[in-house]
Amino acid sequence: MSGKVKEWLMKRVPFNQEKTSKAMSKIFLEEPIPKQMKNWYYALGATPLILFGFMVVTGILLTFYYIPSSDKAYDSVRYITEEVSMGHWIRGIHRWASNLMVIAIILHMVRVFFTRGYRKPRELNWIVGILMLGVTLTLCFTGYSMVYNQLSYWATTVGTNMIKEIPLVGTTILGFLRGGEEVSSNTLTRFFNLHIGFLPTLLFILIVIHIVFIRMHGVSKLEGYENEETYSFYPEHFYHTIIVTLFLLTFISALAVILPPGLGEPADPNTTPAHVKPEWYFFAVYSILKFIPLKAGIFLMIAFVIIATFWPFIDDMLRKKWPKLKAHYMIGSLTIVLFLFFTVYEIIVY
Amino acid sequence: MSENNNSLATQKLIVGIFSILLLIILIIVAAVEMKQTMVPELIVDISGENKNCVSCHIEKGIAVKSIDLWKKSLHAEMSISCVDCHTAKEGDFDAFFCPESDFLVARHPTPKDCAECHEQQVNEFADSKHAHQFWLIKNTDRSVFENPISTRHGCEQCHNIGNLWPDGSVGECDACHPKHSFSKAVARQPETCGECHIGPDHPQIEIYLESKHGNIFRSQEKKLDLNYSSKDGKPIPIDVPVCTTCHMDGNETQPMTHNVSARLAWESQAAWSFRTVWLEESLGNWEMKRSRMESICKSCHAPDFIQTYLLTADLINLQYNEIRRIIVGMNKKLTEKGMVSRLEKDGKFYSDPVLTGWDEESEYLMYHAWHHEGRRFRFGAEMMGADYTQWHGIWEVQDDMVNMFKFAAERGDPEAKKWVQSNDPIKFAPYALYDIPGNSWGINVLSNTFPYVYNAYPDYWERIKANVKAAYENGLLSEAQWLSWSKRYENKEHYLGTKYNVDSVYKIYTDRDNLDTKSMNKKAVELKLPGKPFWSW
Repeated sequence: MSGKVKEWLMKRVPFNQEKTSKAMSKIFLEEPIPKQMKNWYYALGATPLILFGFMVVTGILLTFYYIPSSDKAYDSVRYITEEVSMGHWIRGIHRWASNLMVIAIILHMVRVFFTRGYRKPRELNWIVGILMLGVTLTLCFTGYSMVYNQLSYWATTVGTNMIKEIPLVGTTILGFLRGGEEVSSNTLTRFFNLHIGFLPTLLFILIVIHIVFIRMHGVSKLEGYENEETYSFYPEHFYHTIIVTLFLLTFISALAVILPPGLGEPADPNTTPAHVKPEWYFFAVYSILKFIPLKAGIFLMIAFVIIATFWPFIDDMLRKKWPKLKAHYMIGSLTIVLFLFFTVYEIIVY
Repeated sequence: MSENNNSLATQKLIVGIFSILLLIILIIVAAVEMKQTMVPELIVDISGENKNCVSCHIEKGIAVKSIDLWKKSLHAEMSISCVDCHTAKEGDFDAFFCPESDFLVARHPTPKDCAECHEQQVNEFADSKHAHQFWLIKNTDRSVFENPISTRHGCEQCHNIGNLWPDGSVGECDACHPKHSFSKAVARQPETCGECHIGPDHPQIEIYLESKHGNIFRSQEKKLDLNYSSKDGKPIPIDVPVCTTCHMDGNETQPMTHNVSARLAWESQAAWSFRTVWLEESLGNWEMKRSRMESICKSCHAPDFIQTYLLTADLINLQYNEIRRIIVGMNKKLTEKGMVSRLEKDGKFYSDPVLTGWDEESEYLMYHAWHHEGRRFRFGAEMMGADYTQWHGIWEVQDDMVNMFKFAAERGDPEAKKWVQSNDPIKFAPYALYDIPGNSWGINVLSNTFPYVYNAYPDYWERIKANVKAAYENGLLSEAQWLSWSKRYENKEHYLGTKYNVDSVYKIYTDRDNLDTKSMNKKAVELKLPGKPFWSW
């Protein structure tokens, strides 16, 4: 940059470049990371973030053509998939990235849970994480409804039906979300708004809080890991992240080509398909709800969410009472096994 | 505490195992689900008694494909399952106990069963000519020529579409909607109609495929989805007609019908062309039926084109009758005079001089000139199959007539002898003629300057007019058709193109043709090879 331009700019944007770049470098590049993180498990926190980035970019591109109205939504998705140049690829990446994001978050949670990364003083960040999981699943749910084909329409109907079961306020919330008695154009515009505006913004804020928490506490040390050595984020961990990004882009592109998301039949509110089912990450809940009464199921889900949210405190209490009990191993393993069992059961049986 | 409670090795092991397990299983789950979105395969509800049928059939390997077809059907989607169609009551003609259960099964679901849900379609079908097995009329005569076993999988197989069941219902729905998919798309596929409407006697599928309609269909076939509903007064969703589009499907003005006779104005499969009177009390007269067909034509064509095209086809139907009058007249005369004999046993005849008969040359000619050539001539004209109107049609009908005269002359008929000996070019038209000035596509300046009758008979168009008028007055043409014909007649120099002169343009082609002829004469006709022939005259 020539001297004059620099001088002109510095007068108008008067920040101390040297100080800023030093601070930035300290914050972003020289972050001390415990040696334990030289392990691929520790890329699982960055993976959902990378995928979120993919979703934002492809999501913006999809909004160029997508029309959120009941009579045009399906056709606009068909147009994107069949006629827009590279449209099938963009849509494929968006859809597959959402699937992988859920998987990546689950894997990240497994790592944090079993290494007890949530323990004091990081309990609040675990809660932020749980909130992020909730927002992500809501994004997935609202995003799936955008396609407006038979499956997604009825999945949305059945999914939102559950809201009605929430005591006292259920019916009001349901009416507010659907914008009427049934899933309709009103629902679509609401969900579209949530999907591209409110929810991504909320997720972004939560991501920032999540990372700020990490930076404030530093990365948690593994229990039983004595090595005090650290290394800086740049270059090694930075390159890890770049490699993961490139791998994900390649992997998702391949998936988008080999198994592209289809279109299905256009939504028909008058014809209920023989089998209505949600996206696979809700299979476990959906399947369990078939075995128990709906009210009990909703109660169980709420209880599960509360326990999951406050698990760091619950775990602490359990440990104080029974110091030898490895409660998190048992509860974590049981949850995963049940989740996998019911997910696979739902696929095999139906 | 940490050492005991959460050792590093255990952490790694558990995180490792669950991460890999979750990663693999969940990606497979996601992939399976994604694949389902690509091919929207129906997930079918098989429960109750149906579950027993399906699992037992699969286990024993009996008609498994039928189950697969059903699974993809709209029936399966609507939870219409095995027992809904195959339930029988004790005493039903087709009831039998399933050997593996105590379930009473109906072997043949009939239109009566289909009518439980599709009453309108079944009733419409029963009112159509599809339901009338008119092959049985005069079948006693036919059966002397063809043995029964041969017709089982011949005539009978196709005419089973009008099967008369012991329960009194008529028809065979799966003749077009194949079991167990009962697909609309298959029923609309032209080849479905072509399963029967094919061959020398009624080659509608071949006529369709050689027509512009069929040609466009073939070029777009892969892009067409024929699985649409045409029930609700919606526009025709495809850009080219298949058979059902004109004969059955609805559009904005016509309701869909399973009565294929509702839009037909002629009985042109019959020995003589006549305006249909089939079910006039509910379907209206032939003009009403024709107007239904025209309503469909109008989805794509201009009214003027439709009028002229169909009028021309109608005149061809009428023309056929005049030729037939000559052919049948001759065979009848030969029979009456005893120059040909009828099949007879114990005072009962097994051949008919105007319909059937297979042991005399003139009977063959009379039969073929109707049942094969005569139908092709008329069907081709109605469905834009030029080659079937021409070479498989009128050419062969005329050939039958010529052979009839030759045969009659050999047997000693004096009129036929006179015909054979005559050198007058007009001898090939020993009958009254119909015609129309010009065609429906445009004006062809030169084609109407050559026909022999146009030039040799100054009163040609007067004679034609009298015939067309007579047809109108006898109810064989509508008033609109007569007016349309008269309009063309009044302005025939325009429609025939004779008032225009483009001789200079045509000369370019005659000059080129002269060069062709010269070349042919020089290089082919007049060519002499130097080598000596191996056999001398």
